[in-house]
Amino acid sequence: MNGLVAQNLVFARGSRQLLRGVDLALAPGEVVLLAGRNGAGKSTLLRLLLGVERPHAGSVALDGRPLAAWAPRDRARRLAYVPQESDHPFEFTGRELVAMGRHPHLEPRQPLGPQDRAAIERALAAVGADDFADRSVATLSGGELRRIAIARALATEAQLLLLDEPTSNLDLEHALQLVTMLRDLRGCRCGVLLTAHDLNLVAPFCDRVALLHDGRIVVDAPPEQALAAARVAEVFGIQSRAAAGFFPREFTL
Amino acid sequence: MLVAAALSLLGTLHLGLARLGPGFAELLAWLGGSLDARGSYVFEQIRLPRLVVAMCGGAALAMAGAMMQATLRNPLASPDFVGTAAGAAFGGALAIVLGIAEWSVLAAPTMSLLGALLVTAMVFVLAGAHGRFSTTGLLLAGVALNTLVGALTSFAVTFTFDNYTASSRVLFWLMGGLEARTWDHAAITAGGLLVFGGLALRRCRELDLLTLRDDSAFSLGVDGPRARRVVLLLACGLTAATVANTGGIAFVGLIVPHLVRLLVGPAHRLLLPLSAVAGAALLVFADLVCRLAPPDANLRLGVVTTVLGAPYFLYLLARHRRGELL
Repeated sequence: MNGLVAQNLVFARGSRQLLRGVDLALAPGEVVLLAGRNGAGKSTLLRLLLGVERPHAGSVALDGRPLAAWAPRDRARRLAYVPQESDHPFEFTGRELVAMGRHPHLEPRQPLGPQDRAAIERALAAVGADDFADRSVATLSGGELRRIAIARALATEAQLLLLDEPTSNLDLEHALQLVTMLRDLRGCRCGVLLTAHDLNLVAPFCDRVALLHDGRIVVDAPPEQALAAARVAEVFGIQSRAAAGFFPREFTL
Repeated sequence: MLVAAALSLLGTLHLGLARLGPGFAELLAWLGGSLDARGSYVFEQIRLPRLVVAMCGGAALAMAGAMMQATLRNPLASPDFVGTAAGAAFGGALAIVLGIAEWSVLAAPTMSLLGALLVTAMVFVLAGAHGRFSTTGLLLAGVALNTLVGALTSFAVTFTFDNYTASSRVLFWLMGGLEARTWDHAAITAGGLLVFGGLALRRCRELDLLTLRDDSAFSLGVDGPRARRVVLLLACGLTAATVANTGGIAFVGLIVPHLVRLLVGPAHRLLLPLSAVAGAALLVFADLVCRLAPPDANLRLGVVTTVLGAPYFLYLLARHRRGELL
């Protein structure tokens, strides 16, 4: 099948069993929220789906081929990723960092072409980073750095995106801009798998919510079902009225 | 352009300025082909190879520094601090002490390369876990192995004490210097720069990506640990091809990339070639200082670069303490 398919993933860090048999799929054109408690293994699962870490058992396939069988640059043109944290020891500008997203499309000595520049500008505009794109990363706030990292993933023009807590550090306006962008990405036949803790904000814009608990996906269903009070109580240990708590879908930016 | 002009000027001064022997008038005559054989010999066989070693060596050390800083994601990394230069010096000293250096002109550079690779690998194993390197871990491992390898080098040198010529040769070499460099030395230094530097220049964008976290670089199609090994191998090659012919020369690999980064930013497409030109200019300048110093001063090249570089390193540490990006 097209997209990303993980089957029966098992992974441990040291003596701690993080994943005990995870099945998860991401198809182009759908937005999936991966939620769970702190330390549940969400970021680890994203890294396994990216291929930067290997599972101890189970498999990940991209467009029907094992992830490890893909040439690195071919894979990077299909699958993009934004880590939870970013640190930059050198003073690149935002635009230079976003331009790195074009690496999978270029030969080693090939300079950026008009197509690449257009993709970079589109990515910067999509996250509203035009104003500070030419500033050094040393002068950017956490939220601005976050938007630059997301723009870099968008600049790859990959059809599948893995975003690890993309709304962290973002103010309300830019968090809303980001979730709106998820809707646009879905319209462009992009598949997005993201982690987030602000379920009220993100879940209404997702097709499915997968809850990771105790090393397994305990539910993978549309938001209203996945975030039913009983499930939220089981995974997060809190009483809730999820349906009433959703952030409004209608707003003006 | 400015740096290239400075390098040209320094190169001309390097050839024409001297306390003894032919000066600028003879340089012009030599360039015009009208200088006598004796004067021509001084330029062709003494000053020009020395200038080529200085230029190529400075370029190689500065490029190696820029590459190490990018791959280790650490602005304080350089061939001096991660043991590469000390390992190369140990290998070279061992080649002289054991008499291997007499076998072939390539023997000392080969031993230097092996020493550089061995010590650099040991520093990484001690400092890093899972391909991640902290500033503290690197500096501690670098200090420990620099000291250990320095002691081993001293131990090796003691074996030459009953032979005055050999021991003074090793000691002078360890302090760095470009006296009596021949076209063989120039060919090895230039060859190292062309081969290893040329391969590094093909990886400028990859070097940019290696400054990202490993998972970010991986997501963009770069296998961080593998690419890092390749780049460090090239940096070791650049360092060894230089140190084997010049002896110990500190700080060039640290300060030059820093200064160039302030001018043109951190993108390696500009940083790497401009660091090479600026490194060449710095080493030509430092060697000019050595050549023009009074002969009684016995001023060594490694001493001049250290005097120039140490205050800059302290300035960088002060910035680091203030939490600024380096």
